[in-house]
Amino acid sequence: MAEDSRGDPACGGMDGRQDPVPSSGGFTFPEYELPELNTHAFHVAAFGELWRGRLRGEGDLSLEEPPAPALPGDRRGTDSGCEDAAVARDLGCSLETAAELRAVCGLDKLKCLEEGEDPEVIPENTDLVTLGVRKKLLKHREETLTIDRACRQETFAYEMESHAIGKKPENSADMVEEGELILSVNIFYPVIFNKHKEHKPYQTMLVLGSQKLTELRDSICCVSDLQIGGELSNTPDQAPENISKDLYKSAFFYFEGTFYNDKRYPECRDLSRTIIEWSESHDRGYGKFQTAKMEDFTFSDLYIKVGFPYLYCHQGDCEHVVVITDIRLVHHDDCLDKTLYPLLIKKHWLWTRKCFVCKMFTARWVTNNDSFAPQDPCFFCDVCFRMLHYDAEGNKLGEFLAYPYVDPGTFN
Amino acid sequence: MGAPAALKEDCEALLSRFQEMDSVRFEDFTELWRSMKFGTIFCGRMRNLEKNTFTKEALTSAWRYFLPPYTFQIRVGALYLLYGLYNMQLCQPKQKIRVSLKDWDEILKFQQDLINAQHFDAAYIFRKLRLDRAFHFTAMPKLVCYLKELSYRMKKKMQRAEITEEFKDPNDRVLKLITSDVLEEMMNVHDHYQRMKRVISADKSNPEKSLNLIKDDFFDNIKDIVLEHQQWHKDRKNPPLKLKVKGGEEKSERNSQHSERCERAESLAKIKSKAFSVVVQASKSRRHRQVKVDFSDSESGQVQTKTTRKRRNKETLKPAGRKVSSRDRGDMQKIHMEDKSLSLSMPVVTEEEEENESFSETEFTAPKRRRKQRTKS
Repeated sequence: MAEDSRGDPACGGMDGRQDPVPSSGGFTFPEYELPELNTHAFHVAAFGELWRGRLRGEGDLSLEEPPAPALPGDRRGTDSGCEDAAVARDLGCSLETAAELRAVCGLDKLKCLEEGEDPEVIPENTDLVTLGVRKKLLKHREETLTIDRACRQETFAYEMESHAIGKKPENSADMVEEGELILSVNIFYPVIFNKHKEHKPYQTMLVLGSQKLTELRDSICCVSDLQIGGELSNTPDQAPENISKDLYKSAFFYFEGTFYNDKRYPECRDLSRTIIEWSESHDRGYGKFQTAKMEDFTFSDLYIKVGFPYLYCHQGDCEHVVVITDIRLVHHDDCLDKTLYPLLIKKHWLWTRKCFVCKMFTARWVTNNDSFAPQDPCFFCDVCFRMLHYDAEGNKLGEFLAYPYVDPGTFN
Repeated sequence: MGAPAALKEDCEALLSRFQEMDSVRFEDFTELWRSMKFGTIFCGRMRNLEKNTFTKEALTSAWRYFLPPYTFQIRVGALYLLYGLYNMQLCQPKQKIRVSLKDWDEILKFQQDLINAQHFDAAYIFRKLRLDRAFHFTAMPKLVCYLKELSYRMKKKMQRAEITEEFKDPNDRVLKLITSDVLEEMMNVHDHYQRMKRVISADKSNPEKSLNLIKDDFFDNIKDIVLEHQQWHKDRKNPPLKLKVKGGEEKSERNSQHSERCERAESLAKIKSKAFSVVVQASKSRRHRQVKVDFSDSESGQVQTKTTRKRRNKETLKPAGRKVSSRDRGDMQKIHMEDKSLSLSMPVVTEEEEENESFSETEFTAPKRRRKQRTKS
């Protein structure tokens, strides 16, 4: 395996900007650093170029629909002839052999079911262990379930995975290019170590190599972005205009020793400065950290380790672990509309908290120290909240503290 | 049993039957495929999500067998299996086969080998898969994530992929080093060298005596040794029946091979038997520990009953364990253990390797202990 030096020609186009310096000694072939866990750091664009170099001119990269395989009964004379000629040329055999190959290796040779046999029914006398296992499972389902159909979560998960497959853009300028890289990014729940013992992937997104880091940052939906600050028991109708997302715009990504700060707006502050100062104050053994601007870099410019946890921090202290789980070349069956990326393909289903009174609507208010409420804190939907706490004129009844509540399940 | 384990079993069943057929033709494979009705592996009313996951898992399982270190036949079988699974799947659009960058070059080499060896059906199938764009070109073969979903552990249990041994060629380092190419090369160089010597010496038929710097039969010796080694390898894998008989016969069988260790062991064993043919009578209280002379074994004249032998082995095991395991040669092991233990009690240690010498210090206490037991009675 070639271990190229860091001076890769592919990343030469970054002059004039701050170069992120990788901490490890450049591999270009992704190799496991810890087996099955993560790879060494490598340059994304260089990796893409290695693949493209190997596949150029072979038709593997094309995003056109491949020609439909000729059915055995289809007598398209000239087409088969052309095909045979191509086969003979590629394999170095004769035309007769090519024709013979077409017949011998046809798909009809693989058919195991007779005509009229239902592909859904497991055949009776089968040796396959897999089918035995599945039969048992089906039997168990038949015995225990009254209605055997997909639950909401399963439908939701499947829809998320496949809703964008094969989508083509209306505007051809929005078409994804051939040889584009697609990265799968897992974003985890914000971690509160005292409370959570597990890291759960919260959402999985697909991003294109050519997209900027800021585009991913904008598309991550975290409930802390929607929080509305302020105690509003006295002024329930005055909904503040600003959600946290608009008020606190700073954020950063941390990849391989470099903090990429969002500096698009003047209000954005460098959140990573605290960390860098802390690390430099004493010899903590972390090496030198660098900073860079998030909006100047695309995913192709990065040095990353596949499978290794990195960080996304926003709202000052809301931290999400970010793991890039996969990088691959785009395929004609993928979603080919650039505008739909970053594309959400997997999301953790969250049960929404319902109003304590009506148990039907999602909670929009949470109260503390509430004399009317049976528990502290207590959740109410808008209607029930007003009916319970305010009289017909809108005067506050009793003592309580009320805050607007945004349920994490809002994104379902 | 989970789906991945069941899939592994089914794939291995198919591939081992294909291996038995001793052919790499697609027609033979399809016969097997149809007889096992492998295409029905997707049947059973799976809903969409499950179908996707299952198909991905099936393709990943089959993919493993397509890469080295599996044998050529298994790899061709795996290619056919991938073709079958890819085309018979029920997912729409089809799930793809993941290829990582580091494996691609190896696969292209394989394709070239197929074409060169004129296995046109296998080459055609690979070409067809590529034309159908059945591959996803990725960084790593599996999705990699340091933090597994729903469980957080810093040190994960590394699941090393278990490679089925029967599908592999036996790993023979000697043959890898001295291949037939190397032997041929050696022979050529040797001949050339001899010729050069003759050319430059005065007497054209015989080279100068002063130029006799190497053994003339050096090349022949190496060839013989390698052939012997090959033979030993074969015998080890499929031992001829007579070797399976336990006890002294096995030892004598081995001794008949040209192994220096055997000869040495034999001579040591003779010395042992002489030294221990005289046995002290155990007292009544120690009757169960009476040492008996056992003359049934030819090589060692092992003088202990089973119990004492076990004890002795246990005693010497602690210091000896390390060294002995490094010389793991099947039955040789026992002889060596006895060697070491007994060689210390005897002053005769002539052609001892230096290992044993350093050994003798550490083990010195052991024979003393043994002696004590024997004389206690």
